[in-house]
Amino acid sequence: MERELVVTGIGGQGIQLLAKTLASAATREGRHAMLSADYGGEMRGGPSKASVVIGDGPLRALPVLASAWSAIVAHHRFSEPALARLRPGGPAIVNLPLVDPASLPAMTVYGLDATAVAKDAGAPQAIGFVLLGAYNAVTRLVDPASLAEAMEELLPPYRKQHAQANARALAAGAAALDGPPAPLSVPAGAADLEEAPR
Amino acid sequence: MSVIDTSQPPSQPAKKVAEFSSPLLLGEHSLCPGCGEPVALRLLLEVLQELDIVQRTIGVVGHGCYGSFVRIMDVDVLQCLHGRAPSCATGIKRVRPDRAVFTMQGDGDMVNEGLQEVLHTAARGEKITCVLLNNGVFGDTGGQLTATTVLGQRTKTSLEGRDAEAHGHPIPVADLVAGLPGTAYVARGTVATAGSVAQTKRMLRRAFEAQLSGAGFSLVEILTMCPTGWFVPAPDGPGYLADSMEQAYPLGELTT
Amino acid sequence: MTLELLEGSTAIARSAIAAGCRFFAGYPMSPFTGLLENMSQQMPAAGGVCLNAESEIEGVNMTLGAAAAGARAATGSCGQGIALMQEAIAEAALNETPFVVFNMARNQQDYFQSTRGGGWGDYRTITLAPKDVPEAVEHTQLLFHLADRYRAPVIFYGDPLLAQTRVGVSIEALDFGPLPPKDWVLDGTGGGTGRSRQIWTWAMGKATDPGPGPDGHWRAIADKFDAIDKVESRFEQAHVDDAETLVVAFGSAAKFVEYVVDELRADGHRIGWFRPVTLWPFPGEALAAATAGVRRVLVFELNAGQMLDDVRIHAADRSAVRFIGGVSIAESGLAYGELMDAPVIRDRILAAITGGARP
Repeated sequence: MERELVVTGIGGQGIQLLAKTLASAATREGRHAMLSADYGGEMRGGPSKASVVIGDGPLRALPVLASAWSAIVAHHRFSEPALARLRPGGPAIVNLPLVDPASLPAMTVYGLDATAVAKDAGAPQAIGFVLLGAYNAVTRLVDPASLAEAMEELLPPYRKQHAQANARALAAGAAALDGPPAPLSVPAGAADLEEAPR
Repeated sequence: MSVIDTSQPPSQPAKKVAEFSSPLLLGEHSLCPGCGEPVALRLLLEVLQELDIVQRTIGVVGHGCYGSFVRIMDVDVLQCLHGRAPSCATGIKRVRPDRAVFTMQGDGDMVNEGLQEVLHTAARGEKITCVLLNNGVFGDTGGQLTATTVLGQRTKTSLEGRDAEAHGHPIPVADLVAGLPGTAYVARGTVATAGSVAQTKRMLRRAFEAQLSGAGFSLVEILTMCPTGWFVPAPDGPGYLADSMEQAYPLGELTT
Repeated sequence: MTLELLEGSTAIARSAIAAGCRFFAGYPMSPFTGLLENMSQQMPAAGGVCLNAESEIEGVNMTLGAAAAGARAATGSCGQGIALMQEAIAEAALNETPFVVFNMARNQQDYFQSTRGGGWGDYRTITLAPKDVPEAVEHTQLLFHLADRYRAPVIFYGDPLLAQTRVGVSIEALDFGPLPPKDWVLDGTGGGTGRSRQIWTWAMGKATDPGPGPDGHWRAIADKFDAIDKVESRFEQAHVDDAETLVVAFGSAAKFVEYVVDELRADGHRIGWFRPVTLWPFPGEALAAATAGVRRVLVFELNAGQMLDDVRIHAADRSAVRFIGGVSIAESGLAYGELMDAPVIRDRILAAITGGARP
């Protein structure tokens, strides 16, 4: 089974790093992963989009996704093309103050204020990791420990001091939707999360 | 003190220097009478022998009359594209750093087609030796203007003589290379006279010594006669060279 | 088999080094730059050399020199830079110096460049066009093998998707079987033996051991490429047995086509696909067989119709051939435009099947 995620937001929100962390975590678990990035010259405030595909065997998915099962929407700006490719019913994690859940009527939407959660966790820079923690709490695509290990591995030497704050952000994101995560909105006749993508 | 016995003829007959042939020559050259390039080839081969590097030398030969030397020099040779010898030599030397690597190029090859190659290679300080045979014309194609043709010289594409206004100025490539930090040894010699032949051979030897010691890039520009391309009688070649090219390109070592 | 999540450029560089590549020279140009950077970072630890050449022309000639001296060597660029290298690629084909040219192309507009060449003389360049990063890893090593086997420069046809997508891959040295000894290499030991070696497009030989000369040598080269043409073509195909429609595509585009064809078959269409894995030699006989029973042959490529020529030459019925590709470039000029997308390809195929106008 292959699971696709599109992540959309603006430069500076940690979009690329969160996508890379998820793909690396899956790879650490011995699974097949693909990561495609699409961003406007690494500029802060510019469009930033990434897609991740995870599967148990060699992947069939294309580097330009034909459709996606799930989404993380960190910012409403530039999100339209990514959202247009979502298959109805799948999970979408949205960053509440910046994204209107009603913009994803066909999805099972989970919302959190990633900026506030990150600040409360003492990791104000780690909005992306908060969203990733929340996404994985909902989808359970990888073991949370794999995420933390992948995050640490991807930090360049000069940023190693951020490892603990990032780990707190991952955990805080997961906790924000814990117990079990309840969607903000479910479309009529929504597919079950466990349904295999077509 | 031993005294040479002159009452009997010597055991071997005396030979003229000119009859001496390098064992690295596999045959006769096919170039014109009065050409200076075969003399330069001989000096190069003698230097390889004297430095005892014949069996660890790789040559890269460009395109010109001297290209036919590939057939008669008993040395491993890559015959390369016009102007590209310093780049090919770079690749060879980088993967075989314990070998001596040289290029043989004419002025059309090095200064026209491949000027950027030699300058970049020198600036990189590649431990190779470039040998420029500069006769100031395209000899192989019958005597046209090159980037080193001296002002006033008549060629088939500058019938009234090279004019700076119309044809630009000649390029003193050895001086350009000598000004680059990667360069270890640069000299300009000629093969127009017996004395200059001996001097040029010393230059070639020093150039290879600079390469072998790892000091950096080395280049020897050798002014050679091309009576055919210059449209002068063969015996007049050396004198013509002294009057024209040597005036524009002073002889000597250009690095200290 | 342990998977590592590697960017395509990193995976290709690692695979080249695993294949024994020890010399690389190139000039930065997107999307080739990543491969050059990876080579420059990884080559020293492998005991090799990577040079950031001052120009494409110098880079390819350095590579030719390193290969002549016996190293497994490679260079690369995108099609624009490889245009500058054409003289040296032709030279290496004619003087039989083996190396790999990585064309990390910006699109599919270099098909003619790869398969027709831009240098002079009767030569061809074996060209492999992988469809994704795992296959690129394998093709990289296969190309070094083919270069050595046939003493010829060979081309890797990549693109931005191969260069920049990160995929879980496993890099290990692959064994493609024995190779002829490199007894032609210039190692410098021939001097003064009377058997010194020579690499020369004109193959004149030494005065004491004459070579075949240009006439004999260039005939032999032409014969060699004829022989390669007969045995080295590679292809993949699916569903040709019951297909009414066959879609032909290469490289990344073929992976997209394969995906769309699977969808259309699920919807009940009798459709198959055919992928030339080698662009040269073109798998002409295989394509002729695959197209023998179909009603229409659709050619999808992101250019104005280049592989189209080869499909028309080999299709069982050339009047059945329709072009559904086109030029499609991102705004940056450095990547594919909107045509490299499954829904768009699906629409074009369906339009061709129903006989409607091309969308």
